[in-house]
Amino acid sequence: MAPTASPERPSSTTHSPGDAADRLLHVIEHAAHLLPSQGPITVFVHHNTLHAFEELRFDEALRESQRVYGCQPFLSEERYRRELASGRIKEADLAVELEEDLGEQSDELIGLLGTRFHLRLAMLKHSLRTAPSPELRWVVAETDALRTYRSDVSPDIRKRLTEGTRHWIMRDFRDGKSASQAQGSSLSAMVEQVLDRFDCANIESWDNSAWEAVCLQLLWRLSFDGVQRADRKSPAPPAPIRQRDALLAATGIDADELANDLLIRYSSAFLDQGYAHWPLPNRDGGFYQSFLNVYGQPGGVVPHWLFGVKREIARLQSEQVTPLASIEESLRLLGVAPEQQEAFITASLLALRGWAGMIWQMETNAEWAVRPAPRGTLVEFLAVRLLLDRFAAAYVGKEHLDDDGPLATLRERAAAKHAERTPTGKTQLAFLFFQLAQTLGVPPEDLFRLPAKTWGKLADEIDAYNEFERRRTFHLAYERRYRNQTLDAFAIHTRGQQPNAAVETKLPSFQMICCIDDREESFRRHLEEIDPTCETLGYAGFFGVAMYYRGAADAHSRPLCPVVIKPKHYVEELPTYTLEEVHRRRARNRRLVGAASHQFHRGSRSMLGGAVTALFGPLASVPLVARILFPRTAAQIRKMFGQIVRPPEATQLLLERSQPTPGPEEGHIGYSVDEMTDIVEKTLRDTGLTSRHARLIIFCGHGSSSLNNPHESAYNCGACSGGRGGPNARAFAQMANDPRVRARLAGRGLDLPPDAYFIGGYHNTCNDEVNYYDLDRLPVTHKEVFATTRRTIDEARRRNAHERCRRFESAELSISPAAALAHVERRSEDLSQARPEYNHATNAAVFVGRRSRNRSLFMDRRTFMSSYDPTQDNEAGAILARILAAVIPVCAGISLEYYFSCVDVQGYGCGSKLPHNIVSLLGVMEGATSDLRTGLSAQMTEIHEPMRALFVIETTPTVMEGIINGNPVIAQLCRNEWVQLATLSPEDSTIHLFRNGKFERYDAESDQLPEAASSVDWYRGWRDHLGYAAIKTPVSVSAIAQSNGKAPR
Amino acid sequence: MNYDQLFHILGIIVVACPTLLLAVLGVSSLVGRPLTERLMSQLTQSAVVTGLLASIGILAMMLMTDRRLIEVGMGNWLVLKEQHFHFTFKFVFDRLSVPFVILSFTLCGVTGAFASKYLHRETGYGRFFVLYAMFLLGMVVTSLAGTIETLFAGWELVGLSSALLVGFFHERAAPVRNGLRVWTVYRVADAAFLVATLALHHLTGGGDFVGLMGHGAWPEGQAALTSNQALFVGLLLLVAAAGKSALVPFSGWLPRAMEGPTPSSAIFYGALSVHLGAFLLLRVSPLLEASTLLCVAVVALGLVSALFAAMAARVQTDVKSALAFASLTQVSIIFVEIGCGLRYIALIHIIGHACLRTLQLLRAPTLLHDYHDLENAIGGRLPQNATMWQRLVSEPLRRRAFRLAFERGFFDTLLADYLVRPFVKTFQWCDGMERRWTNLLAGRSARDADPLQAAGGVVDDLQ
Repeated sequence: MAPTASPERPSSTTHSPGDAADRLLHVIEHAAHLLPSQGPITVFVHHNTLHAFEELRFDEALRESQRVYGCQPFLSEERYRRELASGRIKEADLAVELEEDLGEQSDELIGLLGTRFHLRLAMLKHSLRTAPSPELRWVVAETDALRTYRSDVSPDIRKRLTEGTRHWIMRDFRDGKSASQAQGSSLSAMVEQVLDRFDCANIESWDNSAWEAVCLQLLWRLSFDGVQRADRKSPAPPAPIRQRDALLAATGIDADELANDLLIRYSSAFLDQGYAHWPLPNRDGGFYQSFLNVYGQPGGVVPHWLFGVKREIARLQSEQVTPLASIEESLRLLGVAPEQQEAFITASLLALRGWAGMIWQMETNAEWAVRPAPRGTLVEFLAVRLLLDRFAAAYVGKEHLDDDGPLATLRERAAAKHAERTPTGKTQLAFLFFQLAQTLGVPPEDLFRLPAKTWGKLADEIDAYNEFERRRTFHLAYERRYRNQTLDAFAIHTRGQQPNAAVETKLPSFQMICCIDDREESFRRHLEEIDPTCETLGYAGFFGVAMYYRGAADAHSRPLCPVVIKPKHYVEELPTYTLEEVHRRRARNRRLVGAASHQFHRGSRSMLGGAVTALFGPLASVPLVARILFPRTAAQIRKMFGQIVRPPEATQLLLERSQPTPGPEEGHIGYSVDEMTDIVEKTLRDTGLTSRHARLIIFCGHGSSSLNNPHESAYNCGACSGGRGGPNARAFAQMANDPRVRARLAGRGLDLPPDAYFIGGYHNTCNDEVNYYDLDRLPVTHKEVFATTRRTIDEARRRNAHERCRRFESAELSISPAAALAHVERRSEDLSQARPEYNHATNAAVFVGRRSRNRSLFMDRRTFMSSYDPTQDNEAGAILARILAAVIPVCAGISLEYYFSCVDVQGYGCGSKLPHNIVSLLGVMEGATSDLRTGLSAQMTEIHEPMRALFVIETTPTVMEGIINGNPVIAQLCRNEWVQLATLSPEDSTIHLFRNGKFERYDAESDQLPEAASSVDWYRGWRDHLGYAAIKTPVSVSAIAQSNGKAPR
Repeated sequence: MNYDQLFHILGIIVVACPTLLLAVLGVSSLVGRPLTERLMSQLTQSAVVTGLLASIGILAMMLMTDRRLIEVGMGNWLVLKEQHFHFTFKFVFDRLSVPFVILSFTLCGVTGAFASKYLHRETGYGRFFVLYAMFLLGMVVTSLAGTIETLFAGWELVGLSSALLVGFFHERAAPVRNGLRVWTVYRVADAAFLVATLALHHLTGGGDFVGLMGHGAWPEGQAALTSNQALFVGLLLLVAAAGKSALVPFSGWLPRAMEGPTPSSAIFYGALSVHLGAFLLLRVSPLLEASTLLCVAVVALGLVSALFAAMAARVQTDVKSALAFASLTQVSIIFVEIGCGLRYIALIHIIGHACLRTLQLLRAPTLLHDYHDLENAIGGRLPQNATMWQRLVSEPLRRRAFRLAFERGFFDTLLADYLVRPFVKTFQWCDGMERRWTNLLAGRSARDADPLQAAGGVVDDLQ
């Protein structure tokens, strides 16, 4: 056994145990906040991946998180350089961002390398190569690096370098011997040595290529020598925190592999929500007790690294060591000093961050789950983790370092072994100099004359502009390009608008209220293009109806509202009275079929059941082949058969309660009429829909359906906690149609005309289907207008599908709108489709204001749009504050989750979808055993451009400042620059940009906005991101803008 | 054109389709001109469909002409007269190989269609389809093999492509490590196979199955070996089959193989490759008839594996491992059936099980969706059955069973720590002794042959 892994007798601690335990608990809880906060994957809520760092400024948070998680903060430098080459980033943007960043230091002269600004710009523009020393040695010895200039050195500079070298050598070193003896002899000797390799006898007849080689050789030698002379102490690499880190560096063996394999399987068994037939024995005893039970029992085979674990477990059991005490013990045995505790515990938890995070979520945030974890599970997890770590570290030390010494100092011993071999990084620095001298055109003579002190300064300068800083500048320029394009487009598009002029009273043909979701932007735009007299609005997709909802065929209620809201009300869907019998019958069929398929599902994995089901196996090939080769047809057939068990179409909502208090019990389900009135009033006032009501007003929730997609819920409505928003729209429409509600609304000064009728709808953003609710109740008078509207919507669905298809490589660019609709329908039913839709990918901006301000502006499905009418708001912006309190955190959360999953899909995201494996019904692993993967997949983010969301809000800077000051969440996000913020004046096209804590007027860069006759004319034939364009439909924009203005009814 | 010629042509098409596919896909990427995704998937589809149609054609003709055995020879590739050795490629179409080859084409075709969309835009798309073609060729060759050398060739192709596909995501460590693990187990199994091949050659003077089992069409053959000879060869083949089908004690690799993209896991470890062991035993079933002891061994191994796998399947919390062990359960039962002499039932069982498991694995990522639907249908949480198991078995025993199942029968630990480790240690000790010896002879410490340090160890000695 490994003697160092087990303690001698635990010595009694001197300080009071209670204090230490409290402190430890506090440290663990603090570390827990750094764990991924994604809960069970069936309720996927987008949130800022670095939420724990929000109190820091964005760039500081990135630096800090890079240290803690070891993940990428930005896209790679090469990627940015590609964007620079393709014109996505302009050189001018780089220059501006650099200058703004450097401020007054920008013009400081840095040795011979020009001003700091130029040095940095050169470092950005030229891809400077760096590599481990052996590789550099190879580059120098075997490639053309010392024979020909880098390909990106301009002809001017080539000439300057070659000529400079020639003059200098001919003057001072002709014949290969130094002419002046004044110089430091060692340097001169080195130059002579270089020249020795060339044919010095014929120095006068050397051609340019020979001089080029001489120049490069000299540059390299002088750089190398200069760096050695600079005599800088490179900062010591951070000391390893855990034993495993030190051992990994010293031996290349990862002790975590041993511990993790066991811990992953054990955690998944503990957290399992009912997939495995056999539950973990004694799960109720908790993580720690159950572990001791399972692994402490006699018998079985113990792997080498765990030798002695049984005795240790027996001791823990007999002495009744609590998890917390066991942690303290482990810390002591591992030699963790009190001041290292926090870093050590954080690192230990982060070693398996997905599982640790899920445990924390299950114990704090998932009381609704089938099997939540009891409080304190994370502490118990840590206790087990450290116990295993002790054995793993001792084993690796013994096996691979031949180290039998005490565990407490193993880390130091291993680190000392490794330190002997840590490279100094000087070769890398020398090679950087060598390349910079070429690109900046610094001839060898200048390097030759450089004093040692300047070499040191230069080295510091280059170090200061390290990879992180370079990528940061690139990223700022990357954001700046899009921001300027957006703000320019808004400025030009709103120019000439008279938003507040009172105008004609012609009513819109219909009004459509969608979610603010970026995916609805194109849908709304197409609706408006098809029927220029209609109006569309945006509001958070739960439409103010926060509820627990249970459909007629659903087993459980689920919350349909933003996660920040805890709903008090319950709503149920019931079959209509005449269909109750049918409903009961079908529910019975459903239960039978369900129970049978569940039996089949489980049985097929058992011994005898499996044998029986296998006999029917050939039958399985029929659906198998059908579903893979003809997904759409197979789905239609399935739908047909499904009718036997589906609940009847005609249902109603149980929306009004008879008892005074809301609740899940009979009689308490639903709202009171007053509550309904409140909801309707708030939503209508928020969206500004207080007058000019059309005869038909459609509220349209959204969701998404796809197969073979564990992340399905992430594609649904974010404002419904990853649920589908149809029932909210339906409930809202029913409330707004209620005459009692309308009467009370009239009492509150909000008149709804009697002929305005509300309909709830549901937009499936994956297959672009739109369903409508309660059409049976549609008044006969409205049949015609609904029929027309429906035709418009159907056309918009086709066009929307068509616009989406341009992004799918598997759809031809020449596809017709009808075929496009069939294509997206197939995608949502296709088992083999890893990208049913692109979800929020490419989201980049958020607009809060009147639709009339940006109507008919092509925004490429990249903008969240929330309707808000500043003319109906009070001076302090009370309505706006209410809207932004939800919109800013939600949209920032989505945008930042995409940002981080996109810049580091392995670290922050969940990697590729292809090897995903659902585990414990809670999340996904990669392959057979891996950490639980959180975040978004490569397939979801592949076309995304990671940028912080740009909010454009139609209000004045003063109002906005007031809102920022009044809401700490918004203040933190805006002031710490997690989002970009701009205001658009409600009067004209003035734009203010929020930078460094204050609003500055934004001056447009250009005054050109391309025009196109229709959306399709603009996007046709193009797969990549598209810029803004004004869509000039036959009806003039100004007329629409006017008809959208506020006017008395 | 008479039937014989037609059979011959169709037979050649069946083998040629996957060969050509592998050649085209492989060569195009070797010469640095990778094909487009679309072209690759079209080529794959046409190759599979042609091969499938040809094999169905053969089946139809066999039914019509009532012939039960068709042999398609490819000639002797190597003849050593003195040593009485000849290496022959020969393919046979009979009641065993035709259903199996049709099954291979069908499932490979479906998985190919699935993968062509599933792996869209994946950087390893081309690599996947090259390996896929290699696997398909391996399956076809194995199923149709008429000599044991031919079977071995196909067997190796399947093994190689499987191991490489397990390590498909080679930018991460775990898949590569697990791919290597699969490869190692296959090596052991293949070694047994190779020894069996040699033994057969020695005993019957050739690798031809006809020589081994007489001219009767499958399954009526008579082993031309004595009972003891049959037992010896049969046991070696049983080791080979157990390795390929992940029976005890090799079971550890099966869940580890679930590292590749979902479609490859489905086709390889759920459906086809895991059944190859059973297929091998079916192919040499006359051997089983010749030795009762061998039958007993097969049945015993099958029973132990089935019990173990059924238990292990019960504690798995992730879909793919659960399905892997569920597969193993059925494969073990198939072994039992073969041991009991129920050949046709075993064949039917293989076909049914392969289809079912492919479907289940391909739709494994949709589990949450399915569970949600089931819950809605049942109208509540899915029942957690407090079963006979929980009622009849005492708690400590249940805990032990859990531990046994949870640790996957301890087979991995047993093999790694108690078999491989002492083995490696022994040779390390030998290595140490040799060093001492050479140092003594050289009079200095000679370390020229030591491997380079992978990390660190390099000082800045550039000048």
